[in-house]
Amino acid sequence: MTVPFASSTDFCAKLLFRLAALAVVFIMLAPSAAHSLPLFARQTGQNCLACHAGGQFPELTPYGRMFKMTGYTIGERTVPLSAMVLGSYSKVADTSKSDDPSADFSKNGSLIFATASVFLGGKITDNIGAFAQVTYDPYSVQNSDGSYAGHTNADNIDIRYADRFIDGKNDFIFGVSANNNPSVTDPWNTAAAWMQYVPVPSPSSSQFIDGNTPYPTFASGGNIAGLTAYGFWNQMIYGEIGAYGTSTGLFRFMSAGLDSSSSCTSNCVTQLKGLNPYARLAISREWGASNLMVGAAGMVSQVYDFDPSETTHYRDLLVDAQYQYLLDPHTVTAQMAYGWHRVSYPASVADQPAVDASGNPVANTSSSDTSNVFRAKVTYVYQAKYGGSVNFFNQTSSTNTYYLNSARVNGNVTGNLGQRGATLEAFWTPIQYVRLGVQYTAYNRYNGASTNYDGAGRNASDNNSLFLYIWGAY
Amino acid sequence: MNSGHILLAATIGIVSAGCSNLDRSRDLADPNVPAKALAQQVCSNCHGMDGNSISPAFPRLAGQQATYITSQLTNFRSHQRSDPAGSFYMWGLSRHLTDEQIAGLAEYYSKQTPLRSDAAEDPKLVAMGKAIYENGVPEQNVIACAACHGPKAQGTGTFPALSYQHANYVVKQLNVFQNTQGRPGTPMESVTHPLTGDDKEAVAAYLQALPD
Repeated sequence: MTVPFASSTDFCAKLLFRLAALAVVFIMLAPSAAHSLPLFARQTGQNCLACHAGGQFPELTPYGRMFKMTGYTIGERTVPLSAMVLGSYSKVADTSKSDDPSADFSKNGSLIFATASVFLGGKITDNIGAFAQVTYDPYSVQNSDGSYAGHTNADNIDIRYADRFIDGKNDFIFGVSANNNPSVTDPWNTAAAWMQYVPVPSPSSSQFIDGNTPYPTFASGGNIAGLTAYGFWNQMIYGEIGAYGTSTGLFRFMSAGLDSSSSCTSNCVTQLKGLNPYARLAISREWGASNLMVGAAGMVSQVYDFDPSETTHYRDLLVDAQYQYLLDPHTVTAQMAYGWHRVSYPASVADQPAVDASGNPVANTSSSDTSNVFRAKVTYVYQAKYGGSVNFFNQTSSTNTYYLNSARVNGNVTGNLGQRGATLEAFWTPIQYVRLGVQYTAYNRYNGASTNYDGAGRNASDNNSLFLYIWGAY
Repeated sequence: MNSGHILLAATIGIVSAGCSNLDRSRDLADPNVPAKALAQQVCSNCHGMDGNSISPAFPRLAGQQATYITSQLTNFRSHQRSDPAGSFYMWGLSRHLTDEQIAGLAEYYSKQTPLRSDAAEDPKLVAMGKAIYENGVPEQNVIACAACHGPKAQGTGTFPALSYQHANYVVKQLNVFQNTQGRPGTPMESVTHPLTGDDKEAVAAYLQALPD
């Protein structure tokens, strides 16, 4: 793996110093009591690491999963508010192979205030609890003069009712959830909504960081409206089934802040045709300090922009597994997720004439595509403070002339969406609600090629990215 | 918020309030929730439904002396017991428990049957631990554990039962007694003072296995 920042060592040292200084200020300003915590911790009075493996939010421990499945109702009602903020720095390895680096790599090498969220939730009654996130993105929309406009909208929302029937022999948790993101309800962190968790800054300098590499996900995305029902039997078998639709009417709050008008150009509400089914099955086992989950999830969704007759049909099938070893001072997590994705295009996209970068006609666009995404990650945390991870990703896809694009940097001369690479991460959690991390993501395949993927000389490794972040939650 | 939302919230509130069942409550600040409900709905998440926890991160409570459980929950509630692993989890959970609930939890777990874990054991280490447990280490002025904890590690009164306890947990607690002030007010600080690392590992291995 090539590290392309040797020439900017001094700059990086200064940046790290500034981040560290910021962290020190953050730590000094934060209350020192071990139980002055975000809302769930206030509710139970416990340390974050009771629920989060090695303290690394949001990955859940077995107890954290039970807290979630029982509807966030353990403990007592408290101030139902928390806040989260992310500062970050992104740097792309090569910004020279671009016609307009300031646009293609906006905020490259700049320390920015990336995003902030407010959480509302916790225990409401003995059986009802909530997790609702509202997120502000200061770089949501870029104006024609290059400046940015911020935007606030509903993020993950999960409002649930849960009951637990338990005696000496049987243990059955049952619940229903109104939520806005398929798998946001999931207790395991290989689920589509949770495996990539570090907030992703919007400026284009972050377009190649790990959070933007392929993860097995559901095509519908979030801010839709869903009702799911789930059960967990004898802490062994988890099943969930439900359906999602457009967040309208009573469920409009699921996409609050997003534009549902037909003239929408940014921050638009996802439009789904009818009810779109979602299902999840997982098997879990715990022994000693270890626990293992193997599961699968699937969703069929029909998404359209403004014309319901022009619907894109998605089928997503995900298989995932997670192993945890949790025994102070060690936390080991191994995660694997594989996604099979099939997309069928509407008539306006399928079988259309296409041209290559030189303007020569090529085969018509395909009516459907298939892609496969594989992701494997191993994380180790020592003393719930010092952590590191290795993360491998590989996406393969069918080839479609629809994806031919002669633009530099984001161009595609292969018609293939294949990506392959790895991310190394190191992080430090000086106190339980602050994490500093550094990620380095390296590519050896991008848009179906290792070299010259955009037809203008850009190689996959030119997209290698350094990402530093300071992430706090209180 | 439109009228539909208000209606929905009101409906959920009314239905939920009406359906609230103290026997299945997870409310740690409601003195009316029975101890058995707390044990099953909350404590079982870490300590197991029958008090035989799976993870060595959490102590086994099945068959524990009721007096001892009461004293520990009371010490967590008052922050008198402050070892990190205990305080991280237990200060918050115990903060609003009533004396009656604590007594009920103690009774519930003391009546569960301790089960031997299936963790692998090292016979040599277990034999060494047995010798220390039963006879102490006279040349190091280590007294026999059995003198207070009983010949079968069944405990008595405020002296806890140790049979089938997770070895990792026992070692960590011995370290707390030996090296910190996290659990004051017991004879264990002086008792553990002369123990070597090998002694602690051996005793813990013996207690976890506790062969007949």
